[in-house]
Formats: sequence, structure tokens, C-alpha cells
Amino acid sequence: MLKVNKVDTFYGKSQALWDVSLDIKEAEIVALIGANGAGKTTLLNTISGVLVPTSGTVEFIGQKIDGMAPHRIVGMGLSHIPEGRRLFVEMSVRENLEMGAYSSRAWKHRAETFEQVYKIFPILKERAGQLARTLSGGEQQMLAMGRGLMSRPKLCMFDEPSYGLAPRLLREVFEAIKSLREQGITILLIEQNVRNTLDISDRAYVLENGRIALEGKSQDLLKKELIKKSYLGL
Amino acid sequence: MFASILDIIIDGLFMGGIYALLAMGLSLQYGVARVLNVSHGEFIMVGAFLTLALHTGLGMNPILTLVIIGPIIFIVGYLLHRTLFSALLKSSPSTEVFEGKSLLATFGLLFIIQNVAVLIWGSATRSYSYLASPVEIAGAITSLNRMVTLGITIAIGLAFYIFLARSRMGKAIRAAAQDPATAGIMGVNINNVLALCFGFGLLMAGIAGVLYSMCFGFYTTMGLGFTIIAIIVVVLGGLGSIPGSFIGGFILGIVGQITNTFEAELTLAAYYFIFIVLLLVRPKGIMGK
Repeated sequence: MLKVNKVDTFYGKSQALWDVSLDIKEAEIVALIGANGAGKTTLLNTISGVLVPTSGTVEFIGQKIDGMAPHRIVGMGLSHIPEGRRLFVEMSVRENLEMGAYSSRAWKHRAETFEQVYKIFPILKERAGQLARTLSGGEQQMLAMGRGLMSRPKLCMFDEPSYGLAPRLLREVFEAIKSLREQGITILLIEQNVRNTLDISDRAYVLENGRIALEGKSQDLLKKELIKKSYLGL
Repeated sequence: MFASILDIIIDGLFMGGIYALLAMGLSLQYGVARVLNVSHGEFIMVGAFLTLALHTGLGMNPILTLVIIGPIIFIVGYLLHRTLFSALLKSSPSTEVFEGKSLLATFGLLFIIQNVAVLIWGSATRSYSYLASPVEIAGAITSLNRMVTLGITIAIGLAFYIFLARSRMGKAIRAAAQDPATAGIMGVNINNVLALCFGFGLLMAGIAGVLYSMCFGFYTTMGLGFTIIAIIVVVLGGLGSIPGSFIGGFILGIVGQITNTFEAELTLAAYYFIFIVLLLVRPKGIMGK
């Protein structure tokens, strides 16, 4: 469904990704793990069109998307829920969700999508008229996820959805992600929380210094020495 | 005494309406598109002279010239952004660099527009008479063209506010003002929205020019003075706040009119005084967050 093929990406003059390849099949949950600064967010930005790779290709449902503008990529059904939520804090919860449905395909069906998103995150319906900045951290994360779903995605990329959340909320976020897959949405997940992430994902890639260091089935990776030492603290 | 206070308020509101339009325009260009457009005031001049040409040359009603001048200036603004500013944006590693480059570029625009205008229209003050008949409001005397101008500026301000608050495109503009990259991954065509904002911005200066020409004399080098006023109002109202610019315009209009009544030479000094006091007391502006 998503094929990243030998991608190099630069941030200004410094290279952030070297020869990165990644492959995601429909209805998979794939995890991307790695230390801070390893290039995880850069990779998501390269996929969603915020950054353009200097070499290599990105393909989504059989179409080349590297070099395409971000608004066209989300229009194809690839949703990017960015790091740090990036809500429009001076807009209401409802308006934030509307912005998620901005591309014309999603806009037409937005009434129906609103109902689906409110079903997953009922709190957002209660808070619909409030400004996004008045929400608690957990509610803000739900809004960021809900907004990402408003585009009616085929594939969702989550960048550290559990960041700054209490453990109780963390479980809710992971449950929500699992339920999305049951609805047929493919998922690429970045997480610091390596144990939980490997538990819910089918496969995982490990990024180190901008390169793929390891890949495989999540259950197998849990047993690898490198993972145990570097990421699970065992 | 009462009549003269009312005189000041009415004329202050009228000037304020012009300032409000001008400042809303600059706010769109700077607050959303991040272009501090010092050639902004040139478009009030261009609007005024185009109205003169259409009115005296073709006998058009000055208010109706809005239908022709408005779209022309909007398209000029849109295309300027799609070519010049989007190229600068593409070549800039950060917003700060882009702001610097685009500021210099608009200085260039200022001189080009002004010099071409001097070539075409000369440097004399021009004017024409339209709806100049006096109107009495509760003892205060003003003119019909000023009342029409005030009415149109308020109507445009309100209409634009509703457009921003309610429409799909208006929400995209607000989202882009807060976080353009995230608006992009939500599906907003950022280059298009920024160019629209720049076009709307110039359009407002152009409309202000059409209205201004009905009431006052105008000349080809008057633009920069209006740019400075627009910058003061935008900061006064709160950077990036459209309602703030609107309200700030009226405040500055009334302050100007009060000063003007006592000592006309001090008007610009009074604007700066208000500006400095505000920067000290409420640095984020009236509606700033």
C-alpha cells in the first residue's frame, strides 16, 4: 500500500535520512521506533509531502507521491497526525475537525465522518464549541487523532500519539489505534513507548541515525538483543 | 461644542473606516502570508487614480468602478504572490529569511509602482467632485460621500469577518495563519491560500483608494504615508487579528481627527504617540493573544 524506496532526505544542508526503504501492506499496523533525532519524524514528513526527498521514491496505492504537494497526498487518503498535536488552538474543536475534512472528497462526507469520530471520541462532541486550547492534554490528543480521521484515510501515520499522556490515557490511545485497524485503516505508528508499540504492531522498523538498522515481525524484534538493550532497558 | 464633538467623531469614524480597510488588508498580507508589504499604500493611490480615469474618462460612477478596479487589483495581488513571493518562499530556509527577503522585494515594488504612476499621472494633486452635498446629522455637518464611504467600509469589514468565521475558505485562511504546514497536511492548498490572502489584502487597499478619491485630493507619492498608518493600526489591533485591525483603524481615525482639530501638524506625531504607549502598555495589541 505504501512503498518507500531508498529515500535520502535533507533538512537544509544536513542529511537526515540515508537510503531508507519501508513497505506497508493493507490493514497492517507497522511501528517505527528509534531514539530522538533518529529521523522518524523526518520520514513521516517525507511521506506526507512536507519534505521532498533528494533521491528515492515514495509510492502510495500504486501512485508516485514524492514531490506531490501535501494537500494532494492527504486527498488520496494518507493522513498524517503530526508530532506535538499541532492543533489550531485558536479555533473551536468543531472547526479543527472540519479542517481535517478539508480535502474535497472528505468534505462531501463530513457529516457522516463527524458521527463516526464522535462515536470513537465522545468527549469531542461535548467540547465541540470550545476553543482547542482550552482542552486538557488528553482531550487535545483525541482531537488531533479525530482531526486526522476526518480526512477518511486509508492509511494513518501517528507521530507519538502518547506523548505527555498519563498511563491510563495511553492505554485508551492504543485501544483506539487497534480499533482503527479493525475498521480497515492501515497504520504507521511512531512511538517512544516501545514495549506497547511492539505489542500492538505486526511489524516494525528500527531507525538509527537516519538509517534502517533493523526490521521484522514485532514479536521477533521483542526477542532481539539490540531492542532489549537499547529500547526496553532489559 | 456638542456639535463639534460630534463632527470630530463622525469624521474620525469616516477616516477610521479607510484606515480599517487598509489595515485589514495589511493584516492579511503580514499575518497570514508573512509579507510585510511596504508597497501596500501604493495600491490606495493606484485605486484612487484608476477611479479618476474611469470617472472622468468614461463617465463611470465612482462607486461602480469598484466592480472593475476591485477584481483587477485582486488579480494583480494574487499573481504577484504566485510568482514573486512564492518563489522567495521556496528559496527561503526559514520564515525569518522569507520575511526579510519579501520586505526588500516590496520596497522594490513601492518604487516601481510609484515611478510608473508619476510617469503616467504626474505629481500634481488631483480630485473630482462626487456626492459632495452636505449632510446634517444631529447638528454635525458632513458630506454624503463620507457617509457612503463609512457605510461601505463597515459593510466590507463585517462581510469579511463573516467570511473568515463561517466559510470553508475563511477557516482555511485562519488555520494557515496559525500553522501553515499543518494546514497543508490537512488538505489546504497553502500556496493558493497565501496568494488569495495577498490578493484580498491588496483588494482592500484598492477599495480604500476608490473611496478615498471620492472625498479627498490625491497624488502619486501619497502611498508610503498610508503604509505607515496601516502598520501602526495592525500592531495596535494585534498582529494577525483581522477584527483587531478593523477596530484599531477606527480608533486611529478618531485620534487623528481629534488632533487634527487642535493642531493638524501633530497628527502623525499623535499616531506614533498612541503606538508607543500601546507597545508599552499592551504589547500584543488590542485583540492580540
